[in-house]
Amino acid sequence: MAKIGVFICHCGENIGAKIDCTKLVSAMNDHPGVSVSVEYKYFCSDPGQENVKKAIREHNLTGVVVAACSPRMHEATFRKACAEAGLNPYLCEIANIREQCSWVHTDQDMATEKAIEITRSLIEKVKLNNELQPIEVPVTKRALVIGGGIAGIQAALDIANAGQEVVLVEREPSLGGHMAQLSETFPTLDCSQCIMTPRMVEAAQHPKIRLLTYSEVEQVEGFIGNFKVRIRQKSRYVDMKACTGCGDCIQKCPQKKISDEFDCNLGKRPAIYTPFAQAVPNIPVIDKEHCTFFKNGKCKVCQKVCETDAINFEMQDEFLELEIGAIVVATGFQIQNTAMYGEYGYGKYADVITGLQFERLASASGPTAGKIKRPSDGVEPETIVFIQCAGSRDPSKGVKYCSKICCMYTAKHAMLYAHKVHGGKAHVFYMDIRAAGKGYDEFTRRAIEEDEASYLRGRVSKVWKENGKLMVRGVDTLLGKPVEIAADMVVLATAITPQPDAKEFAKVVGIGCDEYGFYNEAHLKLRPVETATAGIFLAGACQSPKDIPDSVSQASACASKVIGLFSRDQLEREPVIAVNNESTCSGCWGCALACPYNAIEKKDILSRSGELIKRVAFINPGLCQGCGTCVTFCRSNSIDLAGFTEKQIFAEVMGL
Amino acid sequence: MSIQEQYRKRAAELLASGEVKIIIGYGAGSTPDRRRALFIRSADDASLLHVDAACDANLSGYLVSEGLLSDRKKVGIFLRPEGIRSVNILAAESQLDPLQIVIIGFNVENGSLAALQGSGVNDFSSLISTLKESRSTPEEQALIEKIEGMTPEERFAFWQAEFSKCIKCYACRQVCPMCYCKRCIVDNNQPQWVHTSSHTLGNFEWNLVRAFHLSGRCVECGGCDRACPVNIPLRLINRRMAQEVLDAFDHFSGMSHTQEPVLASFKKDDPETFIL
Ligand SMILES: Cc1cc2nc3c(=O)[nH]c(=O)nc-3n(C[C@H](O)[C@H](O)[C@H](O)COP(=O)(O)OP(=O)(O)OC[C@H]3O[C@@H](n4cnc5c(N)ncnc54)[C@H](O)[C@@H]3O)c2cc1C
Ligand code: SF4
Ligand code: SF4
Ligand code: SF4
Ligand code: SF4
Repeated sequence: MAKIGVFICHCGENIGAKIDCTKLVSAMNDHPGVSVSVEYKYFCSDPGQENVKKAIREHNLTGVVVAACSPRMHEATFRKACAEAGLNPYLCEIANIREQCSWVHTDQDMATEKAIEITRSLIEKVKLNNELQPIEVPVTKRALVIGGGIAGIQAALDIANAGQEVVLVEREPSLGGHMAQLSETFPTLDCSQCIMTPRMVEAAQHPKIRLLTYSEVEQVEGFIGNFKVRIRQKSRYVDMKACTGCGDCIQKCPQKKISDEFDCNLGKRPAIYTPFAQAVPNIPVIDKEHCTFFKNGKCKVCQKVCETDAINFEMQDEFLELEIGAIVVATGFQIQNTAMYGEYGYGKYADVITGLQFERLASASGPTAGKIKRPSDGVEPETIVFIQCAGSRDPSKGVKYCSKICCMYTAKHAMLYAHKVHGGKAHVFYMDIRAAGKGYDEFTRRAIEEDEASYLRGRVSKVWKENGKLMVRGVDTLLGKPVEIAADMVVLATAITPQPDAKEFAKVVGIGCDEYGFYNEAHLKLRPVETATAGIFLAGACQSPKDIPDSVSQASACASKVIGLFSRDQLEREPVIAVNNESTCSGCWGCALACPYNAIEKKDILSRSGELIKRVAFINPGLCQGCGTCVTFCRSNSIDLAGFTEKQIFAEVMGL
Repeated sequence: MSIQEQYRKRAAELLASGEVKIIIGYGAGSTPDRRRALFIRSADDASLLHVDAACDANLSGYLVSEGLLSDRKKVGIFLRPEGIRSVNILAAESQLDPLQIVIIGFNVENGSLAALQGSGVNDFSSLISTLKESRSTPEEQALIEKIEGMTPEERFAFWQAEFSKCIKCYACRQVCPMCYCKRCIVDNNQPQWVHTSSHTLGNFEWNLVRAFHLSGRCVECGGCDRACPVNIPLRLINRRMAQEVLDAFDHFSGMSHTQEPVLASFKKDDPETFIL
């Protein structure tokens, strides 16, 4: 005989103000199988949970229904309370009478009626619940960090310094990401390379870090603690073991005029190259697309000059299959191409450049060795116009969101310009100055007050060329007047957008992303570094535009999550898994294809004499995540999900 | 030699040489203008085979009869293009090994019989590709357009009237080569998801389940439509669902024996228009 306890929570005013809980209690007391029904202001509180435990013991309950908030909120709380009172936690169900009931309805009688129905349906379900035991799975103590920008490097170092193995995968030939391209960094103006390089070297030399540059993650399977990851190591055509990084090949390569991506196309590089002088590892790659040998079948100059015979034109991509326990995604961002604003003339006038290009001009290791020179003719600009929000906060042409870092780096650019070009005049068009952060507002004030950048609140409507000048027409909204400035260079603070392949890569890894391609966190406020997929975490600008301090903090937070996970040898998994009825299975294997976790295998059913009777689907309990996809797919209705069996769901529906 | 004679001869040779252990074909039916399935194991019986425009049943469903293929021996079978497509699907769904099937293909176009060249499923791939481009008959198209022109209420009323006739005989399921499950979801009575009695709700449930389970799998052989004793226009449902999967996923059922089932597979560029 079922002895169900029903606990109706007011959730303060949240439920209590809209639902007549006393009526709900008496309706439940009348429901067959219910031994006790009580209400309380906050069942999730300590005394509230005590009430539940006491009732379980006193009434010898066989099942518990807590009518309260969403199971995502407190299912774990109440299951734990049940377990403490000696009741199997899976005999506890949550009837959500808050989110889709008290919160959304205005009429008290109708809301109460609905709450009664919802609670009843869960009582009918819980009557059919079975005792379930958690499943234990081992944890592979090896983390994968994808992306070798500052966020990925920081996460890898923190995990490795805690003594755990890390595989750090970067798809470019060198570690570094965008930070390696920057000149000096706000708000302290320290040289980006100088603070970055030691980190890159430390990561490359760390005994616990396996660094795979020029490599890409192609497939991720499995689940928390037990991922299987396939990585492609692209062929560099240079043997990493043999190469000493002397750079002779780079000097001698006859191709010299290839547009340099690292310098944002402001400089040139050969076909065999390292992206920048401090590259880690300091081993070149051959750019197959531009290499004379790969194009014409003749050249191999690099091979001839290489003293250690490191160059191998026959090299093939290699594949690695790794067992991984946790994944940190730190794939960063790109800057938006601003060609959609025809009026700014980007792409049309050589001296209209992006902020990132300005970083390269200002960088001591950049194409101009740190001198601010305009790209068209190498002349030092006397006047520069900076245009903020060139793409951000523009729902019609650009992106809706604020890119967060552009106010700061534009102030930085104005400052660097003032320091490098005495007498140079910087004008900044802005919408708002968003400089929230430690030392940030002071920094922008300094740009205005000490370095005399002229800030104009308003938008630019047009940039055109006249008498060798770039004419910038905009409006100063504070004075309510149109302005026209004759500039030598225009710098656009372009929007920060996700990597071009971010959406596809989300599918490879098995995480979600927003409409732009920024990766989704499990909860924006309370679980900002976790994804909805257990064991996969997010660091840096791949989640949203971020500056270095934020990227690094998030990376360290990820590391602490990973280290926490690796502090255990076994993980307890919910026993909510699918089970197949082999006698009714028709062996179509639709379920096996549909299963997103590859948990379903073929199993032969043999007769006593060993003859094949039939082949059916077998669900591996270690791999199944209980998502239920196979259940809905199976045409013969052969699969059931523990904790959500067809009978339970049917009873629940019929209880309505 | 008539096509029928040629095919009788071919069947006799297949059996006599031992290449196939059995031939599944058509024999005389209950009236002179009907044909029914005929199973012959001896070359002498080849003269009982009929091949003509009246051979409309899709015989591929017999291939999955319990034990027929478990000895790994080959089976010869008379199939129209739809039947060849269903063999592909049965192979894709692991119900049979296509190497065991020797196809004796024929087609009926505008009431007249045509022979098809080939014997293995792959021999018919280009034929199947051309079928992908063809559309439904003008009468069917007119009816589909009429239904699509209706308001949701009118359409509901139309199908309610049609489904109310259903007597849950499951002839549509029995005849369909794709309905090979030993236990169908409607036979599950723990819990009883689909009402067995033939009242409107249960009839709706059954016909919706059937439509859904056959989406991307039905080859439009017309078997169910002919089998239905109360003349529910099942072909319209089949057609509509086939069009849906073709439009949304470029999926034409039975293109090859390695085609992934459309509703169980996931491709990165699948349209996600249904996600709000
Ligand atoms: C013009 C400009 C100026 C800036 N100035 C400052 C400043 O002064 N101060 C400051 O704090 N911040 C500044 N920033 C912001 C700073 O660049 C970012 O905060 C920082 O680079 C974010 O680091 P990240 O590691 O998240 O991303 P990234 O630096 O973008 O690194 C991501 C890395 O992941 C790799 N990757 C991507 N996809 C894959 C994949 N699928 N597989 C393997 N590897 C992959 C990329 O190649 C890259 O190396 C500036 C940004 C810009 C655009
Ligand atoms: S419930 Fe089914 S589809 Fe989901 S993980 Fe388990 S076996 Fe795979
Ligand atoms: S979908 Fe159902 S019938 Fe098909 S293999 Fe899986 S369990 Fe068996
Ligand atoms: S549903 Fe009907 S038309 Fe489609 S394959 Fe089955 S029997 Fe043929
Ligand atoms: S054949 Fe017709 S009457 Fe029989 S179950 Fe199918 S739809 Fe209903």
